[in-house]
Amino acid sequence: MGAIMEKKYLNRWKLTDKFVLAADAIAVILYLAFFIKAFIDIPIPTKEELVDVNFIFNGFQMSILAIFAMIATPLLVIDSKTHFNKVEYEIDAWYGGNTFVKGLISLLLLNPVSAILRFYNTHNVLKFATGHSYIEAIKNMGRWFKQKLEAFKNRKNSPDHEGEATDEEVRLRKKIRTQTIGIAGKSILLYGLIGIAAAFVFLPFYWMILTALKTFEETQSTNPSFFVALKDMQWVNFKYVLNEMDFGLYIYNTLLVGVISTLGTVVTTVFAAFAFSRIDFKGRDTLFSILLMTMMIPGELYIITNFVTVAQFGWISSAGNKVFLAMIIPFMTSVFYIFFLRQTFKQIPNSLYQAAQVDGCSDFKYLVRVMLPIAGPTVFTITILSVIGSWNAFIWPRLMASMLPNNNESFYLISVALNKASFMDPEGMRLMYNLQIAASALVTIPLLIVFLALRKYIIRGVGRSGIKG
Amino acid sequence: MMFKKITRNIKSFFSKVNWSTRNVYLTVKRAIGGVFRKFWSIVTQEEKRIERNRMKLDFVLKYLNLDGKDIDIQLDLDIAEIRKDLVEKKKALSVTYKKDKNQSVLNELNTVSRVIKYLPDDNRTINRKGDRKVETNKFIKAMIYLSPALILLAVFTFWPIINTLRLLIYVGYTESDGSIQGYTIFGNFIKVISQRGFIRPSAGTFSSALINTLLMAFISVPISIVVALLIAAGLNSIKGLKGFFQTIFFLPYVTNTIAIALVFKFMFNENFGLINTMLGWIGIDKVNWLSTNANYWAVMGVMVIYSVWDSLAFKIMVFLSAIQGIDKQYYQAADIDATPKSKVFRKITVPLISPMIFYIMVTSIIGALKVYSSVITLINEAGEIRGATYKMKTIVMYIYEYLNTRAPGNLSLAAASSVVLFGIILLFTLVQMQASKKRVHY
Amino acid sequence: MEIVLNRLTKVFVAKNKQETRAVDNLNIVIPSGKLVGLLGPSGCGKTTTLFMIAGLHKPTAGRILFGTEDVTKLTADKRGIGLVFQNYALYPHMTVRQNIMFPLENLKVEYEEAVARVTEMAKLVGIEDQLDKKPSELSGGQQQRVAIARALVKKPRVLLLDEPLSNLDARLRLQTREEIKRIQRETGITTIFVTHDQEEAMSISDEIVVMEKGVVQQKDEPQQVYYNPTNLFVAKFLGSPAINVTRGEIKDNKLYFGGKFFVNKKAKDGLYDVGMRPENFKVAETGSKVDVTDVDIIGRDTIIRFNLGDQQVRALVDSETVEDIKEIKLTIKDEKILLFDIETGKVVLDSKKER
Repeated sequence: MGAIMEKKYLNRWKLTDKFVLAADAIAVILYLAFFIKAFIDIPIPTKEELVDVNFIFNGFQMSILAIFAMIATPLLVIDSKTHFNKVEYEIDAWYGGNTFVKGLISLLLLNPVSAILRFYNTHNVLKFATGHSYIEAIKNMGRWFKQKLEAFKNRKNSPDHEGEATDEEVRLRKKIRTQTIGIAGKSILLYGLIGIAAAFVFLPFYWMILTALKTFEETQSTNPSFFVALKDMQWVNFKYVLNEMDFGLYIYNTLLVGVISTLGTVVTTVFAAFAFSRIDFKGRDTLFSILLMTMMIPGELYIITNFVTVAQFGWISSAGNKVFLAMIIPFMTSVFYIFFLRQTFKQIPNSLYQAAQVDGCSDFKYLVRVMLPIAGPTVFTITILSVIGSWNAFIWPRLMASMLPNNNESFYLISVALNKASFMDPEGMRLMYNLQIAASALVTIPLLIVFLALRKYIIRGVGRSGIKG
Repeated sequence: MMFKKITRNIKSFFSKVNWSTRNVYLTVKRAIGGVFRKFWSIVTQEEKRIERNRMKLDFVLKYLNLDGKDIDIQLDLDIAEIRKDLVEKKKALSVTYKKDKNQSVLNELNTVSRVIKYLPDDNRTINRKGDRKVETNKFIKAMIYLSPALILLAVFTFWPIINTLRLLIYVGYTESDGSIQGYTIFGNFIKVISQRGFIRPSAGTFSSALINTLLMAFISVPISIVVALLIAAGLNSIKGLKGFFQTIFFLPYVTNTIAIALVFKFMFNENFGLINTMLGWIGIDKVNWLSTNANYWAVMGVMVIYSVWDSLAFKIMVFLSAIQGIDKQYYQAADIDATPKSKVFRKITVPLISPMIFYIMVTSIIGALKVYSSVITLINEAGEIRGATYKMKTIVMYIYEYLNTRAPGNLSLAAASSVVLFGIILLFTLVQMQASKKRVHY
Repeated sequence: MEIVLNRLTKVFVAKNKQETRAVDNLNIVIPSGKLVGLLGPSGCGKTTTLFMIAGLHKPTAGRILFGTEDVTKLTADKRGIGLVFQNYALYPHMTVRQNIMFPLENLKVEYEEAVARVTEMAKLVGIEDQLDKKPSELSGGQQQRVAIARALVKKPRVLLLDEPLSNLDARLRLQTREEIKRIQRETGITTIFVTHDQEEAMSISDEIVVMEKGVVQQKDEPQQVYYNPTNLFVAKFLGSPAINVTRGEIKDNKLYFGGKFFVNKKAKDGLYDVGMRPENFKVAETGSKVDVTDVDIIGRDTIIRFNLGDQQVRALVDSETVEDIKEIKLTIKDEKILLFDIETGKVVLDSKKER
């Protein structure tokens, strides 16, 4: 038994942890790199080959790499967050066990470097927290288990006083036990129900990824399987779809429209929200109510006229590039976001504004140096929601692109392209769902990743906007 | 350790640069301002004006025998009193003059009039002019900040409203050349409403776009609200894995309708769809959801299920925030009274978040009445099922049909149908607001 | 830098066209280098006055002069004032150092000098080791000191404080009071602060301006305002426990309450509102017997509640004087009795004492 909380072990832990993080990051990069390389190496199949499953590629390898990447990345993110926030007293024996388990996971992910470092770190943590080494810790655990077992065996005898328990006490204890079981049971039921609901919500996503990795044959079976073997995952579907659909162009289009319209939205929204929240001008409330009322009118009504307007501006006639103007400019502002940001601005106390005035701060400077930083999360939420909106936009971009002469397809946005895409089998009879859904997956997955990374902001923003409504 | 020092040095370096840049900016700004102000004063001949004002003041002081004394005219004198006295004096003098026609009286009268004219403003009177100027300045400033948003809104939101009214009264409008065949007040409305399949059912079937849309909306919205409420309440009660479940429930919000509706279409496929397979597990024959000759209600079922699935996320988030905002004391009081959980939910939770429920109900119905993308993905562009006598069209699909077919007068028909849609939305919103008066507690 | 307020008036027009006169024709001169308190109940116009001096509100009429300079038309930042808000108004996303440096950005100061000034101010208020924290990490008292430092860093001619002590807990209040006094002494800046707590105003001000409904009731040294109030309002507002006000009658230089004689008082015959501070009563054998309802002993002091006529009155006396006596007889000195005119509330002075 050595001394506990020795500084040197803490320092060793810190140092090793940095290396662990680095090793993990490198591992993730390697997983992704190999995956992408293997993906590029897949030869582009013809449709017949797809139907007859007559080609060779490294399915198993790619599947493994994909799974590794999917597990390792979140772990890496969580680890790096804790690394920067961990406090000394949170490092205890449990954390040591935690580290050990993570080491095992690293082994499973074929990451020996991380694994070894983690095992070493477990030793550090144990020494630091409890002064024991591995062997002693295991011995302690064994002892602890034995103790618990003994206590359980002897539970009949009341530890409160000598002799047998009275009837009253036995009854009380039974009641407590039934109550506890009841609560536990209800808890299980609750989790079960929520789990079922969650499964219902998650099912289409799972099915989407599953189908995208199936062969055409499998999609035609009347008894579809719920799993695809690792080696049978048809990554080639994605390859085919990407090739057929000129995805790169459409993604570029969508990003272009998304980024620029979001920039425009943020600028107009910030200025307008500032005016509505801080400047007390005549007619402010009337104007605001009018804007709110326009939110009730269905968007279709606007589309009819805007379509004519945009044509009159000459944006959708000949040389295609101006079409982007038509897709961006009408969406560079949104009453909803103005409303949302105004609420946030209003929560900033007016005395801050007055203090800035006393300090000689102009309105614009106040907006940029004080209000924006404070309202930062909201602005960020608006940005994310706006980008997501552009990514999912369909009706208007389709309308715009359809107006171009010569059926020019190069200005489609992603949703439009997806809608238009049709992967039929070589005879032209049946729809190849696996390919079709692979295309859907390609459109959905980037958004899912963005969502998973930024969900805190998105959820908080949407929830708050609902309350104020 | 060294890392921190380096960052600190970099930070201070940047602040220094920042600072000096700002100083330069300020100097330049003030210089330009100074030049501008000088220019402006020359243009408005400010110096001359100041000189003139001073001469006026001297004249007044001289008259009052106060010139040469070191006083501040506005600070130390009661201007209102002086003015009153002088006006009376003037009246007395003019009366005298009328009687005598004396020249010296006339001179004095003129002097007194001039003094009155030259008297400076009494700063004891309420200065409304200053307030008004501040108001105007504020207005101008607000307009400058609002201009980007307002211009865009004017073109793409306000103008369309006006233009729609304009389109409504045209007959046979061709947008390519702007020609009109005539005017009408209700003609477009009548044409749209009377067309079979829109409001009235098409031949041989009971469905119309209106009926389809209403059914879809009023079946799916209540279901999704109830489910969302239950899930939100459940999420609020569980302790662990809350974030995990929240993430899952929120996934549909960010997904592309076109993309995921396609997956639904596949899942509801008659032969190799997941749903029929799962039904088979519990012994139900496979259902013809969307294929040839599918039953109306089967198709409606698919639409409703998709609608519920898609709209859960937003509702759950809003309800969860609302429930979390309820003061715990209400629950604690109920706990002490050993109230069963279902009663707590019905009598405490739901009434306390009823404003939120109402808000969701109104917005959901509005959104559901506008259903479009899901229908064209799950079924097809025209809402047609092969072999069926009915068409699963929605109101919005009608609008887009008019919009997409180029024919004279079609734009007006599209406009009219969208106004009809707006009318329906408005109607239901008002009905809901009326009905909620009793049940919503603020 | 003395401050002259000349005929200062502020009228607010609400949306329904209703006018409120928040400040009505203020004429006061605030002497240079002094700590002056604007005291009054809420809604009396003191904060409005403060903000007009600061330049955040435009006066509807009247002028404001700093020394000989007319600043009425100047914006807040050009007047050279420092303002400490009631809720401190610190920028939450900036560190303390950045908060204090912020006013200097507009003054075209060199970077080195700005940094030096910030350190100097931080030392003056006592937060030099908190400079890199954010406001949310500081306690209320520390936040206020940052606000004061920020107000002083531009070396203003005038320092204005809006209810500086109302957000602090009782223990901190005493401490901060002293701090403010100390800072004012060290810097010598003309300082005006607004408060509704008369104890606060009494303890640190060099002069007090009592306001009610936008009108100055009295402007004087604290002792004068306390002992020689000009009207009933001022008398009632200052003093804790509050002054007793009872309807009494003077006949032949004797004061009667409800027909019963109480004490001698030299004044004109007639009915008055009589003001007597609880602490001025003395237990004395030569006093009058009074109808005692309660006696509460609170350590060193004793509160005697009794009736004069049919009105209840409180007296605050030394506990020792009440020990071991069977009957309580109270008296009060002639010059400690304040007489107020029943209609106007103005104090009635005897011909001898001129102010």
